[in-house]
Amino acid sequence: MPFTAVLHSEWSKIRTLRSLLCALGAVLLATVAFTALGGSDSDSSDFDPLYSVFLGVVFGQIAAIAFGATAMSAEFRGAALRGSLAAVPLRGRWFAAKTAAIATPVLVVGLAAGAASLVVGKSVLGAKADTLTPVEQWRGVVGCAVYLTLMALLAAGLTAVLRSGAATLGILIPFLLIVSFVVGDVSGSAADVLPDKAGQVVFHESWDGALGPWTGLAVTALWTLTALCAGAWSVRRRDA
Amino acid sequence: MTSIDVHELTKEYGTRRAVDHLTFRVHPGRVTGFLGPNGAGKSTTMRLLLGLARPTAGSATLGGRPYATLREPLRHVGALLDAEAAHGSRTGRDHLRALATSNRIPSRRVDEVLAETGIDSVARHRVKTYSLGMRQRLGIAAALLGDPEVVVLDEPSNGLDPEGIVWIRGLLRRLAGEGRTVLVSSHLMNETASYADHLVVLGRGRLLVDTPMREFIDARVRPVVRIRTTDAPALRKLLAQHGHDGVEHEDGHWTVEHARVDDIGRLVSTAGVPILELATQEGTLEQAYLDLTGTEAEFTAQPQEA
Repeated sequence: MPFTAVLHSEWSKIRTLRSLLCALGAVLLATVAFTALGGSDSDSSDFDPLYSVFLGVVFGQIAAIAFGATAMSAEFRGAALRGSLAAVPLRGRWFAAKTAAIATPVLVVGLAAGAASLVVGKSVLGAKADTLTPVEQWRGVVGCAVYLTLMALLAAGLTAVLRSGAATLGILIPFLLIVSFVVGDVSGSAADVLPDKAGQVVFHESWDGALGPWTGLAVTALWTLTALCAGAWSVRRRDA
Repeated sequence: MTSIDVHELTKEYGTRRAVDHLTFRVHPGRVTGFLGPNGAGKSTTMRLLLGLARPTAGSATLGGRPYATLREPLRHVGALLDAEAAHGSRTGRDHLRALATSNRIPSRRVDEVLAETGIDSVARHRVKTYSLGMRQRLGIAAALLGDPEVVVLDEPSNGLDPEGIVWIRGLLRRLAGEGRTVLVSSHLMNETASYADHLVVLGRGRLLVDTPMREFIDARVRPVVRIRTTDAPALRKLLAQHGHDGVEHEDGHWTVEHARVDDIGRLVSTAGVPILELATQEGTLEQAYLDLTGTEAEFTAQPQEA
């Protein structure tokens, strides 16, 4: 069976669930809204205009994770996976199509969220955003799309391993909200290579860790790839 | 045509053997009833057949090919394993369309099977609003989607209303009549008896019976002659005189074992015993099945595996 048919099928599964469309909408909404709210607080000493403009991504990623986890966990409800694998017995191909069907809409929505964040953030900051170069602005928008996609796929991969969206969200959301905030300012430690910390370097005008914007995203991608490989292995190995 | 071949199939879960060196063949053009108590391995066998679980040993093939090697398998094999396969928040139609797309089945077929299974009126409603019977029909619609030559249904009459049960009976007969290979599991004996031509019976993962249904019943249950009369003493006397072992039942009818209706009919008519009813009572599948369960150790109580 051609990959495009399977991809088309997996995309139609996402398109026809209202909760998933809502999650995609929430990615856009949360990113832009929190940028608008957070951007006004710009008087502290370590002010970074680029981070202010893309502050909302920290919140938008929660929605992206919810999307990735929910889209994958729909297959682990009841006997859904049996139905899916009976239709597409090539499990590796099925998992690849599922991954692509999750990644593509997040990438598109992430680009839109990045662009909207940039416009809103700049207008909130006013003159303080004037130092941002066009390259930095592009980096932020593309970084926003890539980062959100990687986080959604990290959640999707983890969900395939754990076979439960609730378990995935139960691990990832406290991790992002607590662990990252607690160790957030401790730079130069192992915290720098956590999936979210590493990837978020892309939203900083200046950085002092070992990871730069693109190497940081590469580290996040490595985390995501690991989760996806573990998920694919689990789907291929286990009885459905 | 395509037959199902199960050869030395074995599946172990830890130390428990759910399917134990199972060998049988399901032929096209007839309905094969797949029987056995809960936990006998029927559902596990079906999952192994569809490549959803890995066998510990042995093989299950369709027309000589493992399921996983079929290109666009829904066009060859239609299966209902579980009525809960569809996501509750999706509409029945969208569920079928996603399945159809993956196997490049034209979306016209989606509307055809929705009409065929009688759920076209709720096709655009979310599955969570469906009754169990409607979900079951949706599962059957999914099985028919690719116009497959092999149809495998696990407990299809579950949750169906009386009308639905009559409908599924007709559907199974028609599918077999069209030359398809039809395997249907059930633990409802009267239901199975109404559509099956052939039986495969499992007990604790082992094959106990693989035989035409009529043969299975006739081998295990002898027909009896059933009589009703207004003159019980006369009938009792007559039967006793001719060495027949008549038994009078509570509601007033009599049964005579080891006798032919022709002989008993002549007898009572010559003797002038008034008769209200005289008939051969054929053995039922239920009687034959219970006879089997009484003799096979495989039917002793065991923990259930879903």
